[in-house]
Amino acid sequence: MSGLRRALVALGVLAVLLGLLSTALILTSDHSSPRGLLLALVLAAGWSFAFTGLFAWDRRPQNNTGALMTAVGFAWFFQGLAASNNEWIFAIGILGQNLSFAILIHLLVTFPSGKLRTRLQIAAVGIAYTATGPLNLLWALFTDPTVQRDCPGCPENPVLIGGAEGVANAINAIQVIGGSASIAIAIGLLIVNWRRSSAAERRVLTPVLATGGTAFAILFVQLLAGELGAPQAFQGATFVTSVALFACLPFAFLLGLLRSRIGRAEEVSSALSAENQQLNAELQAKVEELRASRHRIVEAGYAERRRVERDLHDGAQQRLMALTMTLRLAREKLDAEPEASAELLDEAMAELGAATAELREFARGIHPVVLSDRGLAAALGGLAERSPVPVEIAAAPGERLPMPVESAAYFVVAESLTNVARYAGAELATVRVERRNGALEVEVSDDGAGGADPDAGTGLRGLADRVAALDGSFAVRSEAGEGTTVEARIPCA
Amino acid sequence: MPKSVLIVDDHPGFRASARRMLEASGYAVVGEAGDGEAAVAAAGELSPDLVLLDVQLPDLDGFEVAARLQGLERAPDVVLTSSRDRADFGDAVSESPARGFIAKAELSGQALAELVG
Repeated sequence: MSGLRRALVALGVLAVLLGLLSTALILTSDHSSPRGLLLALVLAAGWSFAFTGLFAWDRRPQNNTGALMTAVGFAWFFQGLAASNNEWIFAIGILGQNLSFAILIHLLVTFPSGKLRTRLQIAAVGIAYTATGPLNLLWALFTDPTVQRDCPGCPENPVLIGGAEGVANAINAIQVIGGSASIAIAIGLLIVNWRRSSAAERRVLTPVLATGGTAFAILFVQLLAGELGAPQAFQGATFVTSVALFACLPFAFLLGLLRSRIGRAEEVSSALSAENQQLNAELQAKVEELRASRHRIVEAGYAERRRVERDLHDGAQQRLMALTMTLRLAREKLDAEPEASAELLDEAMAELGAATAELREFARGIHPVVLSDRGLAAALGGLAERSPVPVEIAAAPGERLPMPVESAAYFVVAESLTNVARYAGAELATVRVERRNGALEVEVSDDGAGGADPDAGTGLRGLADRVAALDGSFAVRSEAGEGTTVEARIPCA
Repeated sequence: MPKSVLIVDDHPGFRASARRMLEASGYAVVGEAGDGEAAVAAAGELSPDLVLLDVQLPDLDGFEVAARLQGLERAPDVVLTSSRDRADFGDAVSESPARGFIAKAELSGQALAELVG
């Protein structure tokens, strides 16, 4: 058994003992009547609050509500003590007999958390405790119950300084005003709390508000009735009704607490479900994006192969065909027209030189050898050198990076510079490639016309896919008249 | 009288080499065209005896050009050529109205004479 559980069991035993003591005191009281009703009320309210409170405390130790309910139950037994014929026990009972109402207000305005949070809550609870605690003591100092409360059977008041009816009445008036104000604020808070609550929260609040609100309203009426001198029968009836309702109140609290537990589980479940749905949607979007990207990469592969075939066919292959014919012709003329033959051979050599250069350029487009041999900085230098538009290399990494990263960065710069030369009408392009925050940041900007549409051509789309395949990001900014900036960020731990 | 020839190819370098080769072999090159439409127009206008026709052209392919040349009032003989092998085109060559196919690497006056006489 845990320490808390042991303490709660001990409190339960104490509640039983206090109940039995109250029973004995009430049944032997010379001044309390009607005894049966009083006993029923004290036991019903005291035990119901104490035991439901202990149960709630045990179930939800982090929540103050259980402890407050238990305290209300224990405070009820002051009513039993006040029935005592012993003057000191009687005095203790008188001093604490209204405390249960203050704790109840505390419980109501802070339900279901049990925690004081707002200034109004603190005001309502503070006034209630002041009226039923210190002010009650003050009142007791000046009250002789045998005289002022018209209670000939009451024991002597051992804390009495002197019977001073005027002072006692004044203090009592302050207590009534304070108690009424506290109840009014509490009812106001409950109404506001109700109006602000969600449907799920209202299910928790409903049993408590219905029972507690009615009980307090009746208590309020009873307080006023006392002050206005209403008939004793009416005051007795309202008192009995409110106490009977108070006896039911702990079960309402318990029901509310259990509902809040269920409600919380439902909320958590609903939140988890919503989060799950959102994650699913995000995952689905990611899958779609990956599928589209994979499709484009495959397509880009085919397109690249078609380009390679076409470039070879249109370029080097045509030159080699022409070269074949020239050589064949030179051979035919070798005997009859040696000079013409020599001319054809010169022509063939020039053609061969052009074919070789074309093949070299072509191979560089497939994979630049300088990149794998000497790294990104050297390869970027080569791109800048061959670009028809002047290029400034503002930054280039001096170190070697993983090949896929270097390759992606190279082709971003190469394609961007090709676009600058073809479309931008720029006078200067600036290339900046830097390793920063775990990524290689590539930026190619120009001072040209701008207004490029990143979705228009396959080149930029291909670059974006190439960068995305490395989990990177790719963006093109191209306001008309403000040049174009291509930015890529490629993760590179 | 030498046979008149129209050369159709989108690569000027190839057209120049082919012209020189054909003229050296005794043909009279009467015109050149860089694409299919220009080829059909030039053939209608020049009425050549022979059209040396590249298969891969920027607009129409050589087979379609051959079919359209066949519809001319005085249809020329057509010899298809390409930097690719004949096998790369499957049955398209044999199903076309062209007299035959010569790979560019094997193109010569003699090869042409063997096909069209």
